[in-house]
Amino acid sequence: MASDTSMIDGTTAVLPSRPRAADQRGVTVWATLRSFRIDIFGAIGLVLLVVFWWGLTFVVPRSSLPSPLNVFRRIADDFVVADMLSYYGLPETGLMGSMAYTAANVLIAVVVGGLIGTVLGLFAARVPVARAISDPILNTVGTIPILVMAPFFLIWFGTGRWSAVLLVTVYVLVILYLFAQRAAENLDPVYESSARTFGAGTGDILRDILIPGTLPQVLGGIRIALAGAWGLEAIAELLGAQQGIGKIIEVLAGSLDIEGIFAALLVLGIVAVIADWIAGALVRYVTRWSVSARVGTT
Amino acid sequence: MTDSSQGKPNDITFTDVTRTFVRGDGQEVTAVDGVSAHIREGEFVCLVGPSGCGKTTLLQMVSGLLPTSGGAITVGAKQVTGPGPDRGVVFQKDSVFPWFRVIDNVEYGMKRRGVPAAERRDIANRYLELVSLSHVARAWPKELSGGMLKRVAIATVFANGSDVLLLDEPFAALDYVTKHQLHDVLLDLWRSTDAPRRTILFVTHDVDESLLLADRIIVIRDGRLVDDIAIDATRPRDVDTLTRPDMMTVKHKLLAHLGLEHGSRRSAAS
Repeated sequence: MASDTSMIDGTTAVLPSRPRAADQRGVTVWATLRSFRIDIFGAIGLVLLVVFWWGLTFVVPRSSLPSPLNVFRRIADDFVVADMLSYYGLPETGLMGSMAYTAANVLIAVVVGGLIGTVLGLFAARVPVARAISDPILNTVGTIPILVMAPFFLIWFGTGRWSAVLLVTVYVLVILYLFAQRAAENLDPVYESSARTFGAGTGDILRDILIPGTLPQVLGGIRIALAGAWGLEAIAELLGAQQGIGKIIEVLAGSLDIEGIFAALLVLGIVAVIADWIAGALVRYVTRWSVSARVGTT
Repeated sequence: MTDSSQGKPNDITFTDVTRTFVRGDGQEVTAVDGVSAHIREGEFVCLVGPSGCGKTTLLQMVSGLLPTSGGAITVGAKQVTGPGPDRGVVFQKDSVFPWFRVIDNVEYGMKRRGVPAAERRDIANRYLELVSLSHVARAWPKELSGGMLKRVAIATVFANGSDVLLLDEPFAALDYVTKHQLHDVLLDLWRSTDAPRRTILFVTHDVDESLLLADRIIVIRDGRLVDDIAIDATRPRDVDTLTRPDMMTVKHKLLAHLGLEHGSRRSAAS
């Protein structure tokens, strides 16, 4: 029954003939993997990277490059509490707790920066006066390398949570301002015209046209901003913070603990990849009506 | 000029309608120049003219999406000041909202007018059935072909109960077969309406399309109304209708207006 071309049930591929039972199983497994967006070649690449890393440890001295096994063991050891770090007076020494602190900061920054940036961007795209005011400001902020602002934020807001959060918020805000503005400009005016002929007012158009119509590109921007936010948050913590995964790296760097740094970086990387995967799945679901399967492309 | 207060609910009166644009180089261009006409209630009128003649501008002014520069347009007893649900528009581009499912698109106009949910779902389902799209009610617009999307747009304006329908080259981008199928869909819906028949203003540059559809063809050239031809043929019309001598005379006339007829003065003057 699956052999007919159906535009309606969402399948775009044309199956030439009904697959035989033996093939069916392989196809099903493959399809399941595809549906979870697990790329087999990506997994193979990851394994190859670890093997290459492990191979390198036979050439490079251990003090410069720890072996993968030791790093994995270190992650397990330091996951809840890291004894080595208890001398430094950190409020949180475990990798899990530090990562949670960093992740919470990233989440706050992406949500707050994303909301403000999107609202400003949509507003600027539709109200020329607003744009005349906001464009020069945000374009200037966007041109400054964001890390240059870090020392100012540290001076103004101290080494607590909020200077790092603010730095990442500004970064996310500027990206989303541009994405939302461009999305609103690219939205075909025929939708707004059509809504108006049905008697839609400004509020209706915002809710029924502008927000859903720009959602794919805005969420694509959120994903790009999220990917960059992890690194920025870690660096902000490295430059001055009480805790977080970046702070852990800074302390370990002071004691030349390469293995510990690798462990912290690996945890950060894994969390960032998982977060992107979840965000991607959410975006795909919310914008499943969109013609382009890939989002985030402009 | 007739007093507009005497107008029937669905008729359209153009009174010396003018529209000027200022081009990028600062020069003023007159797109519509002093058009006066009266479209009767329930009439199917095609606006025909060469590209850039102002026919789409005229339609946009009836929809209220574009203000007039001079003169007035009256629909029923009311002067047009902005868009409103009494005038439904089918655009040339696909205007079906991609982020709503098909059924929600068809309901959209009724939702804005505050029709209760159950009632508007019934009406939307009925019109989807009339355009043979019941099976895709829950589909996303991206899963539909161009012709199907036009059916959705037509079902939407009919379901919304607009007295006046404005169609702006709706089938220009469709293939020959689909276009002819949609002519039938449109005419069937228009003719089967139990209420007073809706007034249709249909912009096209396709001469055969206008001859197949219209009660009356208004020719616009350089922003002016240059001809107003009544079509005296019963429906349904087919290929044979178009080859009748009287229809051929009209066709020659229209082609002459579009500048396509060689030695056209003779036929156009008849």
